[in-house]
Amino acid sequence: MIVVVGSRHDPVAMELVATWPGAALCSAEDLVSPGWAWTVGGDEAPTWVVEGRTVADSDVTGVFLRRSAVYPAELLGIHPDDRTYMASEAHAFLIFVLASTRARVASPVADGGLGDDALRPEQWMPLAAAAGLPLAPLHLRSGHAKRRALNSRIVEVVDGQVIGDMAPRRQARIHRFVAALRLDWAQLLFDGRQRLVALTSMHSPTPEAATALGRMLMAGAPS
Amino acid sequence: MILVWGNLSDTPVERIVDVLLERESAFFHIDDAALPLMTHDVVFTMPPTGWIELHGQRLPLDEIRAAFIRPGELREARGLAAASTLSAIAASLDARVINRPAAGRSNWSKPFQLRLIEAAGLNVPETLVTTDPAKARAFLARHRRVVYKSVSGVRSIVTTLDTHQAARLDDVSTGPVQLQRWIAGRDVRVHVVGDRWFATAIESDADDYRYAARSGDSTHMAATDIPQALGERLVALSHSMGLLLSGIDLRADRHGEWYCFEVNPSPGFSYFEDMTGQPITAAIVELLEGKERHAVLPRMGRLR
Repeated sequence: MIVVVGSRHDPVAMELVATWPGAALCSAEDLVSPGWAWTVGGDEAPTWVVEGRTVADSDVTGVFLRRSAVYPAELLGIHPDDRTYMASEAHAFLIFVLASTRARVASPVADGGLGDDALRPEQWMPLAAAAGLPLAPLHLRSGHAKRRALNSRIVEVVDGQVIGDMAPRRQARIHRFVAALRLDWAQLLFDGRQRLVALTSMHSPTPEAATALGRMLMAGAPS
Repeated sequence: MILVWGNLSDTPVERIVDVLLERESAFFHIDDAALPLMTHDVVFTMPPTGWIELHGQRLPLDEIRAAFIRPGELREARGLAAASTLSAIAASLDARVINRPAAGRSNWSKPFQLRLIEAAGLNVPETLVTTDPAKARAFLARHRRVVYKSVSGVRSIVTTLDTHQAARLDDVSTGPVQLQRWIAGRDVRVHVVGDRWFATAIESDADDYRYAARSGDSTHMAATDIPQALGERLVALSHSMGLLLSGIDLRADRHGEWYCFEVNPSPGFSYFEDMTGQPITAAIVELLEGKERHAVLPRMGRLR
């Protein structure tokens, strides 16, 4: 089973659930529903709640993340006074679950952050430079909020496969960079001068990437 | 030059500034209230270049050899851009930074951090995070007494439950709750500063000594010793999370076995200093004044 962690109001999440065989959505409401049990130092089999049903972690092969936070407004079943606190609790719990599951998690989980929150520039910039990818410098000046429009291009990487036409040497550099970060899924944004501007896991995957992701997540974690 | 970012109304920041003044060390202080007045021109490469300016004083980034970062909660949206820029600078500066903003984020998810602590080779109490009342009750029945605490970094009062209070566990069905096996023993808070540590023994009648006064209980603190091997392991744990300063909560059970509960990335060390006379502020300032730069960036704290 593939679990897409996201919101039913996110059309990308819903499309992935519809596209991937056996996929199901784990919503914010699921995170605060009865049935979850995860231990540290214990031997009890962990369980998820997905679409209102309790699911054994051993039945989950892959997880795709479509959120970087749990928002109070999503928790309609919780008393309004408690929603902010419960959203923090659910977010913290989700980090723990994604870091602990035996399933393959396509999105990064690190340092108490999820998705792009776990992809920090100070971590990936030196690794990109070491892999031979030129970096676009980010210039910030007080009072200058205007942004130049980027003539950008996105390159996707799924399970070590670089998607899109490009020179083999460039492909090898991208491969090396993503491997150094130990990412199974990433999107690299390049500017018109082929310099790396951003690294993300939160854009919508292209159909080709979605197919590769579905294959990877069905196969489960490498043994 | 040492960069200090934090409010002087926050005692740990005030202590650092006082000691820097006493020692006549050159420092550049940014209070949160002054953030809307800060100007900057920074290019984020590795390391970042450019400058920040406040009250007519310009600080080139390449002059910063160390930084102490302890910002408060931002109350004004006007300072948000400056705070974001300062955070990004602190994250990537080629300097000794206490602490880099992302270094302590594992504390936002306590069970996640507990797994990092366990992976570092320290004992942790058996823990269950659940929304299942039956499993919560079974956990309580097995351990007879459990600690009930928040999952996130949101500060909550730690309480204990025994088997007579099992009915209260029905509430877990409305959101995840963290339960831990109660370990009877002696509390010890260890502050790690670089490669040094300061251990404080805490005796309190309260379940959560931080709130002892509120519950009418008393607390007594005193400097203590911990085994050398444990101290070294705590230094390694702190560094593995990218932290040069941390406050680590431990308990020694009656068999002398040590358990680690939590690593606080922004400890209120001045409180322990006041109670014990341990020179924690001086040790932090000595670390900030250290000769060599600490260019090593924090590692990505993850489990696999």
